[in-house]
Amino acid sequence: MPISIVVPQLGESVAEGTVARWLKAQGDRVRKEEPLVEIQTDKINVEIPSPAEGTLASILVAEGTTVLVGTEIAVLAAPDEVVGGKPAAAPALAPAVAPAPAATPARARAAAPPPAPPAAAPEPAYASHGNGGMVASEGRNLSPAVRKIMREQGVRSEEISAIRGSGLAGRVTRDDLLEYLSRRVAAPAAATAAAAAPPLAVHVPLPGYLAPQAPAAGALGPREEVIPFTRVRKLIAENMVRAKHTAAHTHCFDEADMSAIVALRKEWAPKLEAQGAKLTYMPFFIKASVLALKEFPWVNGEVRGETMVLKRYYHIGMAVGRDEKGLIVPNLKDCDRKNLVQLAAEVNDLAARARNDRLKPDDIVGGTFSITNAGVYGAINSAPVINVPEVAILGVHKIVERPVIRDGQIVARPMMNASIGFDHRVVDGELAVKFLRRVCELLERPELLWFYA
Amino acid sequence: MSTLSVAHLGPVAYRDGLDLQSGLVRARAEGLTGDWLLYPDHPPVLTVGRGGRGESLRADPATLGRLGIEVFEVARGGDFTWHGPGQLVGYLVCDLTTRGRDLHRFLRDIERGLIEALRVWGLDGETLPGRTGVWVGGEKIASIGVAVRRWVSYHGFALNVAPDLRFFELIHPCGLRGIHMTSLAARLGPKAPDLAGAREAVATGMAERLGYPGVAWADAETVRRLATAEPGNLIETAPAAR
Repeated sequence: MPISIVVPQLGESVAEGTVARWLKAQGDRVRKEEPLVEIQTDKINVEIPSPAEGTLASILVAEGTTVLVGTEIAVLAAPDEVVGGKPAAAPALAPAVAPAPAATPARARAAAPPPAPPAAAPEPAYASHGNGGMVASEGRNLSPAVRKIMREQGVRSEEISAIRGSGLAGRVTRDDLLEYLSRRVAAPAAATAAAAAPPLAVHVPLPGYLAPQAPAAGALGPREEVIPFTRVRKLIAENMVRAKHTAAHTHCFDEADMSAIVALRKEWAPKLEAQGAKLTYMPFFIKASVLALKEFPWVNGEVRGETMVLKRYYHIGMAVGRDEKGLIVPNLKDCDRKNLVQLAAEVNDLAARARNDRLKPDDIVGGTFSITNAGVYGAINSAPVINVPEVAILGVHKIVERPVIRDGQIVARPMMNASIGFDHRVVDGELAVKFLRRVCELLERPELLWFYA
Repeated sequence: MSTLSVAHLGPVAYRDGLDLQSGLVRARAEGLTGDWLLYPDHPPVLTVGRGGRGESLRADPATLGRLGIEVFEVARGGDFTWHGPGQLVGYLVCDLTTRGRDLHRFLRDIERGLIEALRVWGLDGETLPGRTGVWVGGEKIASIGVAVRRWVSYHGFALNVAPDLRFFELIHPCGLRGIHMTSLAARLGPKAPDLAGAREAVATGMAERLGYPGVAWADAETVRRLATAEPGNLIETAPAAR
């Protein structure tokens, strides 16, 4: 029986670890208790010993990748099992004879998808994977990532057989499958469910609390369900309580006429799309925030003991909802040095990596200010919690056509409410209001970026 | 829990310190001894942990060569740091299985042990979420970086007692830009303790916060023999796990 190597529990508050270094290569024989891999969390580096004697059949997670506790990172074959031998230097075309990791139950619990199959030009870090992680299925090789999506989306193997694969030897890759699923979801039967979901939802199964409930089989079932917190949920809970306990949370609100930004985006989104970048509103919010932060440096800081640390760099955090996996706030580095196109590309990359558990530790530390967009879920206003130790967070919302007065006339304009949550210990109301007004003004009159940025 | 054994090793080359820790980790994992706090006196070195990034090293190789500073890559967590004279380096060789293998709790307890010691000299040490280490008035006074093998810890902490703080300008300590390092001497002036005084206070603070009933001082020779001990070759004078 292959043994699944998972990131072990590393403590109450430890939700994830980074694979720092593989101490054994794929195909190596290992003794029981011999160190296999180093996992790093915070300032601790832990050697994970092998639970048994055997051969390291496949490495599923590359060095430098951060994964949740419990994620399967390798498969160990018992000494008498036939394995794929030494890893190939480059992905081979022949079907692998490695044991099927999909058969191990622990895999179903793996929170992070294993590395994508090597593309045409595999990165060196992945080269040692060879094809050890794939199994033959219906005569075609499927990567762990593809099989995971198949399980999650209930894709039958006949469907896979019908897909024209773009991978090596016509193999169906993750992208092929996602592309197929986007068409499959668009089919009439699923159309109603898909319409309400954000575009990326086709990649992500609906969480339990959003999935349509089967009609109750009878009134006899339990009326309450007890679900223990996951580690990520515990961590979020702790952070939220810490934020609410330390910062003197206060909020104020404003609104922006988004006519100019809506027009800009309408014109530029297709152009950028043609270059492969999706243009959302977030890059505009970042751009406006950075200029406003430069004008009000006190908002771009951190409370450290009884000191206020002002930061002359602009690492802007972006709250990413991940359904049941829980909220995370990665940040974009040095936003003041990037143009809108660069910001658009990075926003998309960061959001995608956040949803796929591919964030690096560096992505989630060092933020100086955050933005949260509750509008993607339909909110027209919110009072966001500060991402401590930062001192303020901008809330942006759904853009709604509303009647407003212009030159004495009632006209319809795309309006958006904006909010700011600020730490009243260090940010006075006057400052917060002025800062928020400036952000709205920069959104209303983007030409100001020409003159002042 | 048994007492925490403490030893001042005297002058130790950094590489010899690594070997010594390896041996002691093995002895601890095999139950030949209890938990240890070791104080080595290192010549100036730079070390980089697994969290290290090349850009955190500011000095070029020529400068390091001129200053006679070696750079070691080690298996602990964390980025670049400096060790050398005037700094109290503490290796903690502790069985983590008896502590429920809770790594973050262990880090937090080490921080609390150092803060406890700082209190002896009237300093208010504090911790910053997400930035392991101990800070005084916004400046960093102690760094922490731990490695774990067979669920036994090694490496540990470094408290700046009276080092030449200019050495930290060779690096971005812990990969953090714009942070200032401080020391007991910088904070307390003539009232600062010497290294011997710091060793005492930190051992007491550590034992208290890590949950030992007390400390038992041992000599360096005992540690060296334990580190090279073979199973079945138990050394009678060693403070075995009690």
